[in-house]
Amino acid sequence: MKALRVLAGTAGVALMGVGAFLLTDVRDPAGVLVWLGGAVLLHDVVIAPAVLLIGLVLVRGGIRGPVRGALLVAGALTAVALPVLLRPGRTANPSVLPLDYPRNWLIALVAVAAVAALWAAVREFVRARGRTDR
Amino acid sequence: MKLHVSPPAFRGRLHDPRTATSIGRWLGAAFAVCFVTGLISHFMQHPPGSLADDIPSRPVWGYRLSQGLHVASGIAAVPLLLAKLWTVYPHLFARPPLRSVKHALERLSVAVLVAGALFELSTGLLNTAQWYPWPFSFVPVHYAVAWLVVGALVLHVAVKAPEIRAHWTRRSSGTLALPAQDGPDRRSLLASVGAAVAAVTLTTVGQSFTPLKDLLLFAPRDPDKGPQSLPVNRTAAAAGVGRIADEAYRLVVAGPRSYTLTLDDLRALPQHEVELPIACVEGWSKSARWSGVRVVDLLERASAPAHARVRVVSLQLRGGYRVSEMGHRHARDPLTLLALRLNGEELHPDHGYPARLIAPDRPGVLQTKWVGRLEVTS
Repeated sequence: MKALRVLAGTAGVALMGVGAFLLTDVRDPAGVLVWLGGAVLLHDVVIAPAVLLIGLVLVRGGIRGPVRGALLVAGALTAVALPVLLRPGRTANPSVLPLDYPRNWLIALVAVAAVAALWAAVREFVRARGRTDR
Repeated sequence: MKLHVSPPAFRGRLHDPRTATSIGRWLGAAFAVCFVTGLISHFMQHPPGSLADDIPSRPVWGYRLSQGLHVASGIAAVPLLLAKLWTVYPHLFARPPLRSVKHALERLSVAVLVAGALFELSTGLLNTAQWYPWPFSFVPVHYAVAWLVVGALVLHVAVKAPEIRAHWTRRSSGTLALPAQDGPDRRSLLASVGAAVAAVTLTTVGQSFTPLKDLLLFAPRDPDKGPQSLPVNRTAAAAGVGRIADEAYRLVVAGPRSYTLTLDDLRALPQHEVELPIACVEGWSKSARWSGVRVVDLLERASAPAHARVRVVSLQLRGGYRVSEMGHRHARDPLTLLALRLNGEELHPDHGYPARLIAPDRPGVLQTKWVGRLEVTS
């Protein structure tokens, strides 16, 4: 087990070496480092604290499960939609970004809220019946 | 006055190794698929010299599947990565920050892993929307950082192996040592993460998995939207060719016995119909009916040797990928056509009028449009 771990760790370092070597060959390594560091900073300083804060304020009480689920799904959909929602400038041709993304985003948010509300309501109903049956 | 900065305290639950293990193995699987399919795409587009002839032309849907998986696994990894980072975020404030040289190296490797993973997913996603806000060129950097991430991931798994093992199942020793009342809440969180993965997948995957195209909300392409109901990357106008006049068009086949054909000559040759997908590196793909002349017939007429490679040269004046190369497997495949028609109609100029290459199991950017010259090489 120990030997396997050392072997895997060494292989990992070797693969990282391949990546580092390939990076020495790109034209703008400083720009890459800025983007790599910027990604960590953006996540650790802005996104993660914001998510924790939203969780602290909104995810509490008996319906924390459905609320958290709705925020998680809506947040994931928004993250994936950001490039198509925000891309500036004209596209290369009309077949690039052909959909009405702001409309689709609103549809998705409404659908997520509806499903979460239904989930919370069904759960409450089942719990209430469980109490009266006893 | 002296300012005291104390690290934040995390009283919230589920920032624990069982949650990290549960999400981490799905994230690891997504990254593994993404890396392998990325390598496949890279080598199909830039085959190292001697390997060009070993690229198979079957299955016909090979590149479509592999590149569809590449983009879909990357998109699925977005909620997984964010959830994983949420789970382990308190470790960022570990005290003391550095215990030993080994601990410092481990934290450094995690920093590389986090930076690289966030970088790969965000640049990949932006690239599918053809948005390039960075100063470097996308392909070589996305490729290099992929190796960095996979290396850091393998190292991370090796370092964390005992903890992963202790929390692999609900009944593993480490899991049982965690507060039992967190179990239902954890399952609820994991179900929500699963729902997020399903949601981002279902609203984007229709761009390549066409049975789900009616669910498309956030994909940068709709497989039905474009000239002749097929998306386009570079238009005829962008390539500087416009509509090529029939009488001005010539196809030159350069080989041991070179010859030139007019468009009428091409139309008079035996025509074949094939059903083949266009599969773009950006993830969208769609199958279509193409008809035209078999490339192998054109090569035979030029007395090309059986193992010859072929260079396909476009008439386009602007843009990359003006020239593509084919190994003998693709060149000799009976499904490889110099296509003149698409779904029963003449090609739209944006699809390469009057003639384009269409071959099985081949990246879209190498399906050269506005073909003016086929060169038999080696």
